[in-house]
Amino acid sequence: MTSIGTGYDLSASTYSPDGRIFQVEYASKAVENSGTAIGLKVKDGIVLAVEKIIHSKLLVPEANRRIQTIDRHIGLASSGLLADGRQIANRARSEAVSYKESWHEQITLKALADRVGMFAQAYTLYSSVRPFGCSTIIGGVDKSGPALYVVEPSGVAYGHFGAAIGKGRQLAKTELEKLKLAELSAREAVLEAARIIYLVHDDAKEKDFELEVSWVCDETNGMHVPVPKDLLEEASRKAKESLENFD
Amino acid sequence: MDHFPTNWGRPRNELYDQYNTFPLHHRPANAQNAFADGVQRTQQPIVTGTSVLAIQYQDGIMMAADNLASYGSLARFKDIQRLQPVGTRTIVGASGDMSDFQYIQHILDELTTEEFTYGDGHDLGPAEVHEYLARVMYARRSKINPLWNALLVGGVENGKPFLAYVDLLGTTYSARSLATGYGAHIAIPLLRTAVDNASQLLTEEEARTLLTDCMRVLFYRDARSLDKYQIATVTSAGVSVSDQLKLDTKWDFAEGIRGYGSQTQ
Amino acid sequence: MPDGSYAHPQQRQFNPYTENGGTILAIAGADFTVIAGDTRQSEGYSIQTRYAPKVFRLTDRAVLAVNGFAADGNMFVKTVKQRLEWYRHAHAKDMPLRAIARLIQTMLYARRFFPYYVYNILGGIEEDGSGAVYSFDPVGSYEREACRAAGAAQSLVQPFLDNQIYFRNQTPAPGTSHPTHLPLPDVLAIVIDSFTSATERHIEVGDGLEMYVVLAKGRSTQELASIRGAQELTPKEGGDRIFVIRRELKKD
Repeated sequence: MTSIGTGYDLSASTYSPDGRIFQVEYASKAVENSGTAIGLKVKDGIVLAVEKIIHSKLLVPEANRRIQTIDRHIGLASSGLLADGRQIANRARSEAVSYKESWHEQITLKALADRVGMFAQAYTLYSSVRPFGCSTIIGGVDKSGPALYVVEPSGVAYGHFGAAIGKGRQLAKTELEKLKLAELSAREAVLEAARIIYLVHDDAKEKDFELEVSWVCDETNGMHVPVPKDLLEEASRKAKESLENFD
Repeated sequence: MDHFPTNWGRPRNELYDQYNTFPLHHRPANAQNAFADGVQRTQQPIVTGTSVLAIQYQDGIMMAADNLASYGSLARFKDIQRLQPVGTRTIVGASGDMSDFQYIQHILDELTTEEFTYGDGHDLGPAEVHEYLARVMYARRSKINPLWNALLVGGVENGKPFLAYVDLLGTTYSARSLATGYGAHIAIPLLRTAVDNASQLLTEEEARTLLTDCMRVLFYRDARSLDKYQIATVTSAGVSVSDQLKLDTKWDFAEGIRGYGSQTQ
Repeated sequence: MPDGSYAHPQQRQFNPYTENGGTILAIAGADFTVIAGDTRQSEGYSIQTRYAPKVFRLTDRAVLAVNGFAADGNMFVKTVKQRLEWYRHAHAKDMPLRAIARLIQTMLYARRFFPYYVYNILGGIEEDGSGAVYSFDPVGSYEREACRAAGAAQSLVQPFLDNQIYFRNQTPAPGTSHPTHLPLPDVLAIVIDSFTSATERHIEVGDGLEMYVVLAKGRSTQELASIRGAQELTPKEGGDRIFVIRRELKKD
């Protein structure tokens, strides 16, 4: 890496001569090495799915969740350092609460992504802090319908139709592009999301993984909840089947 | 961002910055509230709701309140809901100051939302909501800044009915039939006769008839009441609040009354 | 004024207190203590509920009765229980009765200028195995006594106890003397009579009666066997034991 040894990568408050902030780029590396997370914005809602790598067989199943709830109608999937993802989620929760205190109305996804982006960006300005080593997909349904945003360590927050972060993002994005997202129902999207996670998971290199899927849609009454057990099992089963057919 | 560790608050022991090398006068003073001397506290209710009634019956809890919010003796708002579902198995009914009740609705929503975001499968039942409200009401009265309400909290937890009261003083109690305001004087005798003294629990229909009768008596006698009201139930199936109901009332007896007011013949 | 206005500016202030009626009492025996209270909670002429306990078990040998402003009472009991739990965590044993008494005095006096409007009576067994009653005023003054009544019907019950427990205005038969401690059945009878009488004459007393009996370690439970519905609250034998006895009182 060109940055190493130059001295320009020691602090987030220093630019390199060509205008880059290496600490932010290193933070992105933390995301690139982490399990994949994807988000789908579909006809009647959003679906979040995560490939949670199981580092040890001693871990309790379903512990260390990487999908968190921000408000009744908003979910957040993170990729990268899990603890940083929790910090972001906590901030997002306070933003949602403070918005509601001010306006007596649930926060919109756009406003939330903006605020979380500003929060992440503040950690790219000072030598005393390090940027967040995680990207987050924020998804939900607000008064103007389903919405999906990605907030990166640099603080940028872009809206997406489909989003993928983490190790398998390239392949996942290709798969997402093939889907007619605007015509899918959330229930169908759960199956697709599971299929993509199973597809991008590298059996040869990676350890076991746990599939985490959550959704916000008409079926959930606009609430962000994990998909029901039977649907998750069905999605996993079908995902595995499609992989076998694929091989 | 504040980059000066000494401003973050001090650790418990003196090991950190043991000799106070960081100049004391650089530490920011606690912010002063410019309005601290002139804060107004609730000294009396302004826009008020009247009685709330609630009873235990066969399937759980039934609660009733009318749709009026009065401004003194003026019937100011006639479309106000005073029964608020909280979570999946709790109902809160409010009498007293309606702006304080709106504040209570707000903090309850914040509380249940926070509980929901934990995503640990736990949520708040009626006993927890009542305990929380009792703490809030008592804390506020202890600051001599009360939330001017009398609240009833009803619900079903593990098949067991729960019904309790809490008011602006933080006073709490529980019984099979409860009422606030005028209801405590006018409806309670009727409710206790029908509920507490009965050998078995009321059916849903009997409970509904009883509460409707009590709402009617209250409407006849309480000048701050309305004939538009709602009834809520909490059963093991969940909470439901009825549409607005209208009381059947009869006033024709007044035709025959003579001898007071302007009508002397 | 005739027009309905006021001659002087009126000042209204929120009153953070109320009275919730009821009566409590406790009597210490040689190796037992009885702590009792009625279960009615009222405000003015309204009965709020017919069952709101005023007597609370704190440890295996301490029972606290609280009377006055119910909200303060409940909060006070809650904080005392919390302090006792902290003590248990720190010292791996229950706080002794006299220490609880001093703790209560400290907690009450800490609120000297915004008092808990409650009268407390603490009863139980001391470390030497003797029955003890401590009574408090709302700001923490306290003393150990053989018996005490407090609350709405204090003025009815206390003179009766003075006569029956302390034998005031009673002259012993020639050549005999008054006993220093009464046996448990006599004490229970006096407690029940106190409450039935108070119920007759005081509108704020009635509905139900809860009597807690604390027995010193190793003491026979023989006398309780004949008492209807005595229910043990302590799980283990071989220590001090607590029983509760419930009775109906008139509800009018």
